[in-house]
Order: sequence, then C-alpha cells, then structure tokens
Amino acid sequence: MTFSGEFLAFMSLALVAVIGGVLLLNLTKVVHMVVALVFTFVSIAGIYVLLSAEFVAAVQILIYSGAITIIMLFGIMLTRHNDTSEPQTGRWRKLLLFLGVLGFAFAVYIGIYNLDIAQTPTDLHVNNTEQIGIELYSKFIIPFEVTSVLLLVALIGSIVLAKRDDEKEAEEE
Amino acid sequence: MVEELLHSQAGIFNFGVFFLLAVVLLLVVLGFVTYAILAERKVMGFMQLRQGPNQVGGRWGLLQTVADVLKLLVKEDTIPKLADKPLFIIAPVIGFAPAFMVMATIPFTDKLQFADLSVGLLYYIAISGLTTIGMVTGGWASNNKYALLGGMRAAAQMISYEIPLVMSVLGIILLTGSLNLNEIVAAQENVWFILLQPVAFIVFLIASVAELNRIPFDLPESENELVAGFTTEYSGFRWAMFMLAEYVYMFAMASLTTVLFLGGWLPLFSFLDFIPGAVWFALKFTVVIFLLIWFRSTFPRIRADQLMEFGWKVLLPVALANIFLTAIIKEVMNLF
Repeated sequence: MTFSGEFLAFMSLALVAVIGGVLLLNLTKVVHMVVALVFTFVSIAGIYVLLSAEFVAAVQILIYSGAITIIMLFGIMLTRHNDTSEPQTGRWRKLLLFLGVLGFAFAVYIGIYNLDIAQTPTDLHVNNTEQIGIELYSKFIIPFEVTSVLLLVALIGSIVLAKRDDEKEAEEE
Repeated sequence: MVEELLHSQAGIFNFGVFFLLAVVLLLVVLGFVTYAILAERKVMGFMQLRQGPNQVGGRWGLLQTVADVLKLLVKEDTIPKLADKPLFIIAPVIGFAPAFMVMATIPFTDKLQFADLSVGLLYYIAISGLTTIGMVTGGWASNNKYALLGGMRAAAQMISYEIPLVMSVLGIILLTGSLNLNEIVAAQENVWFILLQPVAFIVFLIASVAELNRIPFDLPESENELVAGFTTEYSGFRWAMFMLAEYVYMFAMASLTTVLFLGGWLPLFSFLDFIPGAVWFALKFTVVIFLLIWFRSTFPRIRADQLMEFGWKVLLPVALANIFLTAIIKEVMNLF
C-alpha cells in the first residue's frame, strides 16, 4: 500500500468517525454524546466525498448533521437534560466483552484479509447528482412516491398526537 | 490560475499553495468584517440622523472596529462556574468553522474560486446548517435560561427558514439544470435570474435575512427580551468568534445572492464588459450588503410566533407555488 494523500485523508476521517462513535458510547452526559455524534456524521460525509459521491455527502450533512442532530438536541433539552448514564459493569462482564470483541475482530480480519473485490470501471462518479435524479424519477418513481406519502402520514400523525394532548390538558384544567 | 491549480495533481506543494490562499482569503474576510461593521454603524447612524463612530481613526472613524476588536481580545476570558466547560469552549469553534468553510465554493470571478464543486449550492446550504449546532450547544452549555432560550430560538428559526431558502432556489436549479454555481452564473449570460425568478428572489432574500439572524429576524439574540440570547454568558474572544461567524455569513450570503440572482461577475450590459468581473461582483455584492444594513435600521423585530407562522404559512407555500409555476413554464417553453 502506498502512502498517498487519499490514504491520509481516509485515515484521519476514519479516525475521527471511530473516535466520535467511541465517545458517543463512553461519555456520560447526553448532550455531549450528540455533539460526538455530529463529528461521526461529518467525517462519514468526508468519506463519501473521497468516494466521489458529493451529492450523498452534502445530503448526509444536511439531513443527519443539520436536521436530525438539532431535533435530538431539542428533544434532550426539552426533557430531563441532566440525565447521565452510569456505567454499571462487573469485572467478569468486562472480561467476557473483551473476549467477544477480540473474537469479532479476528473473524472480521479473516473474512476481509484475502477478500478480492473485482474492480469494474464505472462512470457512476461522473455527474452523480444528475444520475441519481434520473434513476430516482424513472426507475424508482413508485418507491420514491410511496416514501413521500409515508413521510406525510408521519407528519400528520404527529400533528394529531400533539393536538390531542392539548385537548386533554384543557379538559383537566 | 486558480482553475489550473484546481485541476492539477495533488501534492505537498499544491497543499501549501492552497493553504496560503486560504489564509489570504481568511485575512480578506477579516478585513471585510472589520469594515462591514463600521459601514453598518455609519449607515445606520445616517439613517437615524446621527453621526456614528467619528473619533478613532479620523473623521470617518476608520479605526473604530480595530479598537473594538483589540478590546475584545485583551478582555478577561470568563467561563461561568456552573457552565458545561468542554461544550462552552467548543461551541464558538463549531459555530465559526462552517462559516469559513462555505466560502470555498463561492465563485468570485470566472477565474477566482477555491473549489468548483458539482453540488456547490447544496454544499453551502448543508454546511451552513452546522453553525446552528454551535449556537444551540453554546446556549445550552452556558447554563443560563436566557442563553438556553436564545439557543432554542436559533435552532427553531434556522430549521424553519432553511426550508423556504432551499425551495426558493429550486426554481433556479430547474432553469439551469445544475447545482454548480459556475453554471448558474453562466446561465445568466442573457438575463439575470432576478428578472426570471422575482418571487424566488423575494422569498430567498427574506429567508436569508432570517438565516443570518439579523433584524427583523434576530430573535436568537433579541436584546430587549433575552439580554443577548445565546451569547449572554460569552465574553472576550469567544463572543468575538460568534460575532465573526455572523458577519462571515453575511459576506457569504451576500456573495451567494449575487451569484444566484444578480449574475455574479457578469456585466450589467454586454457593452460594459471591459470592466473586469471582480469589479462587477464587488458592486453587486455591496448593493446586497447595503440592503441588509438598510433592513436592519428600518424594520422592527417580529414576534416569535409571527416568525414561525410567516415561515411555514406564507414563505413555504409561496416558494412551492413558484416551483410549480417554473416547472410548468419550462415545459411549455420546451413544447415550442
């Protein structure tokens, strides 16, 4: 393997993504976890850019890092935001977990070490926004429309749920 | 020159060149911010029949902002005792970094651009959303109710107004057939999009003022209700960083408006094309900046519920109608 700029970029992005994930699991305050998650999302978007999938990268940042994280922060702040998760593990459990992690790492290593993925030249990276658009609106139009109907149903459902709460409170008062 | 660089082989040397160029851009933007603040205070002063700054640096107060920045830098760095320390420290960084990142994709002239992205417009909108996280975490980490309220408002406002902002530029994307900002400018060779998409321009302008958190939409900071919103507990250079992010976004948003609706570096009439593109860009850019300052000194702040209602019930339907109309007109034009 040669040491190239792409390799360097991939390694740093992957490192940030993994560190973000580990911090997400190990931090105790919920808001800190969400901020760690943002770093993971952004570095995954960076990996998409390395794979020349700019559209997916931009959408990843727009939807995950932008919208979903904010919604999560909102949810956390409006509820019991001082919640902290306490670690509660015994020594035996830790040992068993460590063995499990080792076993998993070994299995993955064996699985991918000699994996040979045949490389076929494609032109998917050229104008990928346009290609995604054309595919979405010609081949996959029905799933696309069904998804939008599903989202609409979820939206209306949430409004109905929120409304019902209001009425109940009004009755109680 | 830049174009050659963008298509050249990656290497240590090119990395150094780009690094230097980025530093130069940062300095230019800092210079802009310094004088934009002065210009804002001067223009607002004249509009309100006052003088504005006129002591430091001659009759025009040319060194006023420099003095202000120096004062901020030497100020004591206070962190509230009960604040969430790591988040409090990292929040201004999260707020500022995206503001400078979005500058990369904006084409200033046909030769001067730092990254010719095929999804340039989407990149701008996606990255600028990250600043909100900085504001919300800053507001939350301060452990202050005014700051928290300001942060919450910032999040709600940014999410609500991002949607009309994206929807309003969809008409332009339909007409151009590309998300690349260079191609969008090239498509305005004959007629600017402000004439083809006037409704989109108005929606975009309103939504962009809201995204910039400026009056009449400066609810996250509204001084007379929330002390200073999410920046209440911040002082010194951390506060300066939030302010800097705000003004860098003003620079970026004015550039984006110029590129999308005012034809970027293209001249007003084709016989005027002996004037270099950079001058045209600067002229249009200045007009947009002046418009933003003008808004600030002439509009009252609107209420939080009015803000939400206006965004969802007025701007969004208008933007959607604009998309429908544009699509129909485009199809009809294609028939002939």
